Amino acid sequence: MKKILYTIATLLLLAAASCQEWEPVWGNQGTPGEPQAQTLAVNTTIADLKALYEGTPYHIEKDIVIGGQVISSDASGNIYRSLFIQDETGGIELKIGNSSLYNDYKTGQWVYVKCQGLTLGNYSGMLQLGMEDPTESYETAYMDVKRLIGAHIFKGAKAAPVTPRVISENELKDALKRSYKSPCFGTLVTLQNLTYANEIFVLIYLDANVDKKESSNRLFLSDQQWGVTTWAMSANKMKEYLNTGKWDSAKIGNSNDQNYGTVADPANKKKLLDGAAAYSVSQYFRMPGGTDVQIRSSGYAKFSDAEIDPQIQKGKKVNVTGILTNYDGAAQFTLIDLDGVQMAAAQ
Amino acid sequence: MIFRKILATAAAIGLLSLSLFAQDPSGGVKGTVVNRADKSPVAGATLKLRTGAAQLHEVTTDAEGRFQIDALADGMYDLVIEAPGFLPTTVNVTVNDGFVKNMFNVSLSPSVTAGEVDDSSFGEFDLDGTGYEDTPTILYDQNDVFNNIAGYNFSAVRFRARGYASESQDVYVAGVKMNDALTGYSPYSLWSGLNEVMRAKTAVIGSEISPYGIGGYNGLSNLYATPAQVRPGKRFSILTNSALYRLRLMGTYASPENDKGWSYAVSASARLGGNDWVQGIYYRSFAYYLGVEKNWNDIHRLALVSFGAPGQRGAQNASTQEVYDLMGDNMYNSNWGYQNGKVRNARNRITYEPITFLKYDFTPSRTFALSTTLLFRTGRNGYTALDWYDALDPRPDYYRNLPSYFYMENPDYNRLNPAKAAWARDAWENHAAETVHVDWDRLYSVNRNSEGGRSKYALEERHVDQNDINLATSVKWQPAPSAIITAGLNGKLNRTEYYKKMNDLLGGSYFLDVDQFAERDYSSSMTMIQNDLEYFLNHGEARMIRTGDKYGYDYYAHLMKGEGWASGKFTFGGLEATVGGRVGVTRFWREGLVRKGLFPGLDAAGNPIYFQGQLLTTYDENGEAITSKGNSAKSTFLTYAAKVNLAYSMTGGHRFYANAGYSSDAPYFDQAFVAPRTRNTMVKDLTNIKSLSADVNYMYAANGYSLRVTGFYTTIEDQTDVMSVYYDLNNSFGNFALSGIDERHMGMELGFEVPTPLSGLSVVGVFTAGEYVYTSNPLLTATVDNSAQIVYDKMLVPYWKSNPMTDGTTQKHYIPSTPQVAASLGLSYFYNYWFIDADVDYFDRSYLSMSPLSRTDYATAGPDRVITAEEAESITSQERFNPAWLVNFSVGKSWYYKRKIQYGFSLNAKNVLNKRDVKTGGFEQTRMVDNTVSKTRYYSFDPKYFYMAGANYMLNLYFRF
Repeated sequence: MKKILYTIATLLLLAAASCQEWEPVWGNQGTPGEPQAQTLAVNTTIADLKALYEGTPYHIEKDIVIGGQVISSDASGNIYRSLFIQDETGGIELKIGNSSLYNDYKTGQWVYVKCQGLTLGNYSGMLQLGMEDPTESYETAYMDVKRLIGAHIFKGAKAAPVTPRVISENELKDALKRSYKSPCFGTLVTLQNLTYANEIFVLIYLDANVDKKESSNRLFLSDQQWGVTTWAMSANKMKEYLNTGKWDSAKIGNSNDQNYGTVADPANKKKLLDGAAAYSVSQYFRMPGGTDVQIRSSGYAKFSDAEIDPQIQKGKKVNVTGILTNYDGAAQFTLIDLDGVQMAAAQ
Repeated sequence: MIFRKILATAAAIGLLSLSLFAQDPSGGVKGTVVNRADKSPVAGATLKLRTGAAQLHEVTTDAEGRFQIDALADGMYDLVIEAPGFLPTTVNVTVNDGFVKNMFNVSLSPSVTAGEVDDSSFGEFDLDGTGYEDTPTILYDQNDVFNNIAGYNFSAVRFRARGYASESQDVYVAGVKMNDALTGYSPYSLWSGLNEVMRAKTAVIGSEISPYGIGGYNGLSNLYATPAQVRPGKRFSILTNSALYRLRLMGTYASPENDKGWSYAVSASARLGGNDWVQGIYYRSFAYYLGVEKNWNDIHRLALVSFGAPGQRGAQNASTQEVYDLMGDNMYNSNWGYQNGKVRNARNRITYEPITFLKYDFTPSRTFALSTTLLFRTGRNGYTALDWYDALDPRPDYYRNLPSYFYMENPDYNRLNPAKAAWARDAWENHAAETVHVDWDRLYSVNRNSEGGRSKYALEERHVDQNDINLATSVKWQPAPSAIITAGLNGKLNRTEYYKKMNDLLGGSYFLDVDQFAERDYSSSMTMIQNDLEYFLNHGEARMIRTGDKYGYDYYAHLMKGEGWASGKFTFGGLEATVGGRVGVTRFWREGLVRKGLFPGLDAAGNPIYFQGQLLTTYDENGEAITSKGNSAKSTFLTYAAKVNLAYSMTGGHRFYANAGYSSDAPYFDQAFVAPRTRNTMVKDLTNIKSLSADVNYMYAANGYSLRVTGFYTTIEDQTDVMSVYYDLNNSFGNFALSGIDERHMGMELGFEVPTPLSGLSVVGVFTAGEYVYTSNPLLTATVDNSAQIVYDKMLVPYWKSNPMTDGTTQKHYIPSTPQVAASLGLSYFYNYWFIDADVDYFDRSYLSMSPLSRTDYATAGPDRVITAEEAESITSQERFNPAWLVNFSVGKSWYYKRKIQYGFSLNAKNVLNKRDVKTGGFEQTRMVDNTVSKTRYYSFDPKYFYMAGANYMLNLYFRF
């Protein structure tokens, strides 16, 4: 009898010994505390970092630490997988790779980047910080991996959002000339008194399963509006546009090889309808001095199917706030959300 | 001495002469039934005296295990002895000269010597939404030499007898069918932890006809569950188990019937803690049983019983082999993580479904009995899961978190970044907590910092709450000694509410009741994204969900069922024939309780619904409004079955028998609606499931030998299956409805126990081999969840039952998740209150559960729409698991303290060779890798597996007094 009792006691001790397995049984885990904001000693400005780029992907081997405030948010879905940070010398795109980054990185929050091991690259005139891309399809790749992100990106203190800087048309022209060397790109700016230009640019693929470089698989909608009055288009919106017939005269193929019929051809139209997908749209606006600014929005943005205000379409001037980007020498503009579009004051 | 002999002879002559003159013979048989293991008396054992197949008497042993049968004429008899928990046996009895023959001790071999298998013997597997089902089957018939051994030894690999799905096994409590009304699933979990009180039962196998109902092709077990059927006495046990839960405490008391005819029984148990093999698994489960019974002169009996198993347990998830290899652990569980440094599981089964029944028995004579049970089941059954809105997938083993997402050796996968793969591998191999477990601290942080306190992550609790009322009446009438007629009427009303509610906002203050998947397609529509459109129309905004609020979906399943059945058992000499049949009606429908923005349907007056002048109502291809709220069409099914059993018994314990049956049963509610969470749309051409089954058997049970050999053949036709999937063909969630799934199960079973010359030592073994295959190519109807748009309308799934191989042969496809070959051979030894058991088990021909999409031409063709032989083989072939060997060992002993208290222990060491690579099941993912470089083919996502635990033990200490 005694032996049995001892055995029971031993058993109970054994059971209690591994406390961890009993934690969910009791279930009183408690509310976790907020992780501490981190502060790293910054040794390089964003401008100095960008200056290291000399035309080919720059693999950072030195112990470079930059710091900046978050100026982008992917809450609206217009910016995707990337975070833009900015210090007093400039801004840069961090190709983190995750979606819904706004949950973890708040606008205005300080972010520090240990750059050693990362790669600085150029994408059509914009400098980006990411991973080396072994396929060389791009100069940088997204970071994607949690542990990799954790080793390089550090969340600092929260702070008030950065005030956008108003960029004049001359500054913009100058920046376009300097391309990626301009400190303006990748920063939060306001452009004033833009007018709607009734012109879009979209590249659509007829069949996602066919090589995207094939001319016969490509449809360019450009040089006019094509009835596209939304900021971008979701798959459903694209079907709607196709069904209006306003794209019917558009020719399939690259501009030097438009030999594959038009959208109106039943076979083409069927392909387009079957393969309808969300597409980014560049809506052209014009600065008072005539410089074109393409406001390019994603088909996955929550505002993609929102109509551009009819007043704007009729010519009312707007001020836009967002991230100034560069696409091969043309000014592109990324809205963070539709709050970035305001009617210009005196009209 | 001489005087004695003379006296005896004189008495014998006297008795003999008496018997010649009197009509009542004076002979008889008496004895004591004892447990072979410890010679303790077996109370409540049934003894049937037969000549040939004709049964002459049936008696039960008293509390001391004693029995006596009188008034026997001289002759040779078979005495068939059965007791719950023991293998039955037959002994030959010869009554001579009108004497009452004293057989002294008749010993029975305990069936499962040490272990018990109940619902808690199976880990809760996380299978929601995978389309994969893995409800284990518990082989109830401990009196059967095959099921007794297979039920225990094979439970480790979740063996299902004859390859049948668990819902085909009919499980009754007190005469009422308890299989889930809407899914058919076996209901063990309702009484897990109540082993002592639920032990007494009657079970039949295969197509045999039970005295409690006609059943189907996979047997019928009736658990008595009344207090008078619980073995009287006090019992207490304490158990620890290294593969399931750390601690089980169980106590039971059953009273003997008192002078006034009252008896009662109570039982309670607790199962607590985790185990050595799967992290995050835990039990906090309790159970109780209260029963009282009144007996009026053995003519009227009334029993009132209430039992339930309230509790909570954590579930285990399946992962891909890549994940297991990275973790170095095939038992890795992705469901849990650290919160505040403490373990928390995201998938918790939270249940309390009490059952109460009132049973009335009327036995006016030895030839007539009537029994009526009114049974009510109610309560809640919740299952938690992470829910998230516009935030990173929180599941650690999400495919984008794995090295294979960044680098694959085959460049066609377009996964070409070895540096990123190395970072991911590094995190997994070093078990970095924030990568390999749910990062609860981050979820809280995200919620806390979210605008307005809106939770981005939350813990939802999906409920399936049943209210189930049953009335079952049966009569048993023996008009002649050679005929027994049984018949019954059953009725069932069931209303089950499916909904989800907010379990935990994880640090946020509200969650918004919108459909984020609808939002992806219809971001510009304020109405289509609403889970509760009426709330939006009334308030102009989506509902803010607080803890405890229902959200997402909410609907009733209604079911009504009525059935009549009858059977007749006739004996002609050694031949026994039983015929039986049943006819019934099943009717069910869905009633939506909320109006979903995607499928508003018509308003109460039957008019389309508009918002700001825009039509919201959507219509299907027939022009019918697609409806989320209100009643669906009501489906009615006529069900029926017929069975024949023939048996021939020979003296000496030989029995030959054969059974055959045909049944036509209603499909289950859960397979009848395309997307029951959102709409009333039913699977097209829903039809009865038809099964035809036959088995032939030989059984021998005598003198310590036990043997059964069975051959069986079953076809099951016209089954349906519905599942929710994410499919890449249009990057959206969709619903698959498969119809016309046919199966064929054929094979054999052998079970034996053979005594050896060494007293107390026997050889025990089971062997089963079968072929359980799909015999049809079903039709697939696929719809887009967000629009109800039909992607495929009854498209043939050409590679479901088999696939072509590149060498020109054809490979059959098998019923998955159970070995089709299984064997066990062991030695069992009893000596002086000790028992020792050792066995070796072998399992083979177990298969992976298939994804229907991977068996279509869509999947094999790939982006170039060209099917090559290589593609067809690599995508459509079915994985066969490696065979496995296991070794188990048990030992136990019991003692008596002052002849009043019995105490003892049993120790089971399972899988002592510590095999950790035995797959018990798994399923293919529906998704395909579709962005290949070559644009000529797709690749399947890696399948997910469940593995068996390595070496583990179970130690049980018990006291009986």
